[in-house]
Amino acid sequence: MLEEIVISAREALAIGASIYLSAFLFGIIALLIRKPYPRAAMFTLLIGGFLFQTLGLNLRGAEIKGCPLGNIFEISQFIAWSLVLLYFLIGPAFKLRLLGFFTAGLAGLLAGTALLIPNWDQPYPPGIFGGNPWIELHAALAIFSYAMFAIVALVSAMFLIQQHGLKNKQFKGLYQHLPSVQQLDLMARRLLITGVVVLSAALIFGAVFWINHPERVPIFKLTATCLVWAGYLTVIVLRIQKRLVTRRHAIASIALFIFALASLWPVQSARDTIATEVPEVPQTSE
Amino acid sequence: MSEVLQSLFVLGSTHHQAPLEVRERMALTPENAAALQQELHALDDIYECLVVNTCNRVEVYGLASAPTVEATVRDFLCARNGVSRELPTVEATVRDFLCARNGVSRELLDAHSSWHTNLDALQHAFEVSSGLDSQIVGETDILGQMKNAYADARAAKCTGIVLNRLFEKSFQAAKSARTQTGITRGQVSIGNVAVDLANRIFGHLRDSRVLLLGSGDVAEKTAQSLKSRGVADITVASRTYENSHTLAHSLGGAAIELSDFAAQLKRFDIVISSTAAPGLILDRDTLAAALKQRPDRPFFLIDVALPRDIDPTVNKLENVYLYNLDDLSNIANENLELRKAEIDRARIILKGYAWNLWLQLRRRTLMATRQEELGLES
Repeated sequence: MLEEIVISAREALAIGASIYLSAFLFGIIALLIRKPYPRAAMFTLLIGGFLFQTLGLNLRGAEIKGCPLGNIFEISQFIAWSLVLLYFLIGPAFKLRLLGFFTAGLAGLLAGTALLIPNWDQPYPPGIFGGNPWIELHAALAIFSYAMFAIVALVSAMFLIQQHGLKNKQFKGLYQHLPSVQQLDLMARRLLITGVVVLSAALIFGAVFWINHPERVPIFKLTATCLVWAGYLTVIVLRIQKRLVTRRHAIASIALFIFALASLWPVQSARDTIATEVPEVPQTSE
Repeated sequence: MSEVLQSLFVLGSTHHQAPLEVRERMALTPENAAALQQELHALDDIYECLVVNTCNRVEVYGLASAPTVEATVRDFLCARNGVSRELPTVEATVRDFLCARNGVSRELLDAHSSWHTNLDALQHAFEVSSGLDSQIVGETDILGQMKNAYADARAAKCTGIVLNRLFEKSFQAAKSARTQTGITRGQVSIGNVAVDLANRIFGHLRDSRVLLLGSGDVAEKTAQSLKSRGVADITVASRTYENSHTLAHSLGGAAIELSDFAAQLKRFDIVISSTAAPGLILDRDTLAAALKQRPDRPFFLIDVALPRDIDPTVNKLENVYLYNLDDLSNIANENLELRKAEIDRARIILKGYAWNLWLQLRRRTLMATRQEELGLES
């Protein structure tokens, strides 16, 4: 059925990214001209962008015959897609105002940047995960946890903006539409715990593969991933001990997400190097 | 004879024309307002009548007969004979009845009232129901008061086709003006501004605990606003325990000694201070100590005392939000200015509604006249 679609994967992903960015611009305009926040329109645009991105990732998956997580371009697209999916899951339940607006902005930025940098979309041989479904699950879970950390970073940024407004007696425009600081703080804490649980699960699946094929896992990737995991775990522990709360918690969440994103590129480069040096792993029953 | 060429009118005395001391005298008791409505409706020249009676306005809406042919002939004859003749107009009649009911002189009423007819009356009614004519632009209480007045008049059978249509349309017009413009955007009273800020800090207020320091009027009103938005736990601490107890009782809360408040501070989320103390009663160290025991829960401090009760430097503490009377007033005033900037846009929307209704009523009148003529011819 996918073969009958005339649109290419990259085109579908580009349309998806454009819709996300349009939604973000639409939100900015509504806020600037002080119109009521267009919640329904924002939701509809995000659905549109999500559908095109889903199509694009499916087409890409069909091309490479696996989960499209083989290069930075695909990883960025997958994080953006997971971010929007998470918004659909948690947005209506928690009714966090403006979360859709910020989600559209970050998803558009991630997906758009990936499209604009051709080097991120380096070709790679099919079956990069060796046809091992556990490794695909590991990769998908890890990227999904990154999407969770992305949404934690968004919620934390919203917290810092609202707190700045309250401290400085600002109440117009963006400030009046943001959720309360307590809601945002609570939300960030819950999502952070969920994200760490998902990342831990991803690392457990990855560890099984690493034990069997240590030569296939670059040490830099292992170190960076463990650092991200340990960083988030530390934040949670400090939070439970009430030693890292509210503002500092928000700043730590944003900083860790930036670190997690920044570590993706060298991790990918290290994996590419290994891939050229080590022969492909045969399919196993793991 | 069908009701043709009627005259729609509004006689009103509001905050625009009358100062507070005059409005106090103009005000009608609910019984007097209902009686006035009945009395006017019983007159031959007045077909429909409705009295709106609020703290800021007494208004009589009505539909009366227009100057008749008879009046014109009488005027003509008097002019011919050189005899002066003052036929009482509907306006004079309504004014006299209103004066009789509220016990004020005609001179006082004439000096502090307005009279609108027909299209102007429609526009006025629409502006009143949408809050444009209110002392605080965009306030929504007036719509409820108009609805109540209309329901009462309708139940008393004092309204008919025209006033029913006028009031129902005015409620629609008010809704349009409110949704399409910013006349109701932002809070404009100190209490509601404080509630808005509390919402921005805590979200819902069900679980928030409020401590009232002192029993000042602004603090009490702010506490009432918070209570009306869901706050269930209010504690009052005042220098005089009796005052604390009385206020706490009226707010459905508890009272504590003022000397105990610092020790119990960690229990509260919102502190409203309005004591008459000459110096600070809540300093940075006390608050920092309380904050240490609940670092992840915010403190919202509202200092409406003069001189101030709370050390202004506490706002620098993490998770503490301090607002004083000036801060709240600035927000309320800026919101009010924003509302005022929307008045012209709202007026244009209401004008459209008024014209539409006016044309509908005219068409209805003309059709009734035509049918009556046809009936007479046959």
